[in-house]
Parts: sequence; structure tokens; C-alpha cells
Amino acid sequence: MRRGPALAALSGIAALAMPAHAQLAPTARKALPVTANAPQVCVMDRVRLDGGALVNFIGLDGDTLQIEQLTDSATLAARPASADLSVAAVCNFPHRIRLESQNNGLWPTDGRATSASRGFATALPYSARIDWGGTGASFVADAKVRRLTEARFSVDSPVAGDLRLRIAIEPGASNGGVAAPVLAGVYGDTLRIFLEPR
Amino acid sequence: MLRKLLIWGAAAVLICAPSAFAQTATDTDSKSFAVTGNVPALCSGGTLTGEGGTFDLGVLVDTTTGFLRTDLSAPARVLGGAFCSARSTITVNATRLAAVNYTAVPPAGFSRQVDYTATASGWTPTAASFATAAASNPAASQTRDNAFTGDIAVSVSDFATTGGTALRPVADTAYRGLVTVTLSAVQ
Repeated sequence: MRRGPALAALSGIAALAMPAHAQLAPTARKALPVTANAPQVCVMDRVRLDGGALVNFIGLDGDTLQIEQLTDSATLAARPASADLSVAAVCNFPHRIRLESQNNGLWPTDGRATSASRGFATALPYSARIDWGGTGASFVADAKVRRLTEARFSVDSPVAGDLRLRIAIEPGASNGGVAAPVLAGVYGDTLRIFLEPR
Repeated sequence: MLRKLLIWGAAAVLICAPSAFAQTATDTDSKSFAVTGNVPALCSGGTLTGEGGTFDLGVLVDTTTGFLRTDLSAPARVLGGAFCSARSTITVNATRLAAVNYTAVPPAGFSRQVDYTATASGWTPTAASFATAAASNPAASQTRDNAFTGDIAVSVSDFATTGGTALRPVADTAYRGLVTVTLSAVQ
């Protein structure tokens, strides 16, 4: 009569002991993951003159690039001008550059109506070339219509370094025929550079 | 089959016993039985306490520069109640934090990995530590001469962009590394 219960009790202990024993071994190991994330970041520093390459520009005043003499004093046609600029920048992901001209050319800053000035240039086209991360792209603000215009260029990898920008006005640039005399006034445009997700 | 043989064997002993007892009966008799057992050398890594077993560093980069943050940290994780029933060795190993999704070779100026040092302290007088940037890690294994039970604090520190501080980590929603702590009984 005793043997039966005693055997049952022993087998019960064995059943309990097995799982506990299975968790122990001469070697124990714990793995702890380390996790983090790096968000998409594009950063640009301030614009600076690139090596002093200025032709017919006075210089850079803050973010303003001022032309020294916009027209030829004898012909009143646009004089050539160019400036090489650079911006220290970084994008840590594939991205795009967007160049945005607020006026699509150099237009009178007072916004006056000039369409009736036949024979005169009322706006000046210019071009902008950008070099960034092995990508070179050009953008022309043709001054045909005063409007916001933009160009977009894809960059397929992260880039860190100097973004180089060359702004140029061709001799005789005009929206009223080649070398047309430029109507008196103050001309300007705002060119914006965006580094942004595609 | 075996059970039947054992029962017959027991019966035979009972039949023979009376005659033997009659021949050597004394006032006192004794028998010695050896009781033996063994305790195998075992180790347990203990139980993780606190906020789970992940070192979550959050955002890796300074979003104003793109460079690795200089204030990266995560609370230490504690393996509570770890034990080894014999002399033991604690070993810590770690893998670099690496971008999970950005697997291509990063362009100039960027890196997809971050180095750090993982340390396990509390088990041996000298903490075991493993630097992922090091070519060898002799301090990664430390030995304790006796059985021990206690808590092991595991920490990560000294983060640095793999390849140099002039590089920036590429954007990725997930960077992942792994710290492994091993307790081994030494026979």
C-alpha cells in the first residue's frame, strides 16, 4: 500500500524538477539590443563668396549680391556680370535641390508696369548653375513673364560639402531683344535654394 | 520485465535471511550506506530589471549639424540575481550600431555605423568591457574564482562614428547593435 503513493510522489518531484533544470547550464547568455535612429537632416550654412570670383558685382552683403554696374553707360545694354558663391551644406539622405526664382529674372523692384515701354528691356534674364555632390545642373530665369519659377534636381545619395552656385548675366541680356537698352530703375530678384526630401 | 526480476530477487533475499540472521545474531548491528550526489557547475544570467533589455538611444544625430550627438546615453540595464555555482568567467561582446535599412557603402563624408563600449560590472572586481572599435578586447573576459550570486549592471558608453568624427551617420529609421553577456562556469 505504501509503495504506490511513494512512487507517485517521487515521480511528481521529477516532473517539477525537469523544467527548472532545463533553464540552467554551465553557460548562461543574455542579449541586449542597442537601438537608435538618425532622422533625415539637411543643413545649409551662410552663403559666401567662392574664391573672390566676382565680375561686375560689388560683393556679398549678408544674403544680398549687388551688381556694380548693371548697364553699359554708352549703350544702356546690360553688362555681363557673374559671381561664384558657395554654401557649406549637408543632407544625410537621398534628396533634391530646388532652385526658386521669385520673379523669373531681374525685374524692377518697385513692381511698376513696364509693358508699354516699347524698345526697352524691362527685365533681365540670368542663369544659375549649381554643383552639388557630383550633380551639376543649370537653371535659367528667362525674364519672359514675371512669376515664380523653379527647377528641381534629384540627388541620389547623401552629400556633405560645399554647394557651389554660379550666377551669371550675359552681355546684352534682355527680355526685349538682344542688347536692348534697359529701362531705368532698380532691378532685383530673390533666388532661393532648397535642399529637401524628394 | 525488469520489474518482475527485481521482485523475484527480493523474494529470494527474504527466504534466505532467517538462516543467516540466526548464525550472527548480536545485540547491536549496523550498516553504512553511502549517500552521494553532485552539484553540476551551473550559471544563470539572472533576470532583467527595470525598463526591459533594450538600450534605446533615440536620435543619434545633432539635427543642426548632422554629426553624431555628443550626449548620447542610455540607462544601465541590470541582470538581477545572476549566479554561478562554481568559478566563472563573465564575457561581454558587442556589435556596432549599424543602419538597418541603409546597407550600401555610404558616400564620402558619411558612415552607417557607430562604435561604442559595452561594460558589464558587479560580477568581477574589474568590469568586463568590449569596445567595438578595438581590434582586440582583452578586457572583455574577466574571471571570478568562487561561486557567486549578485547583480550585473550592463552599460553602453563612448559612442563615436565609425571612421572618424568628421563623418556623419546616414539617415535611417533604425540603427541596431547587440550587447551579449555570457556567464560560463569554469571547472
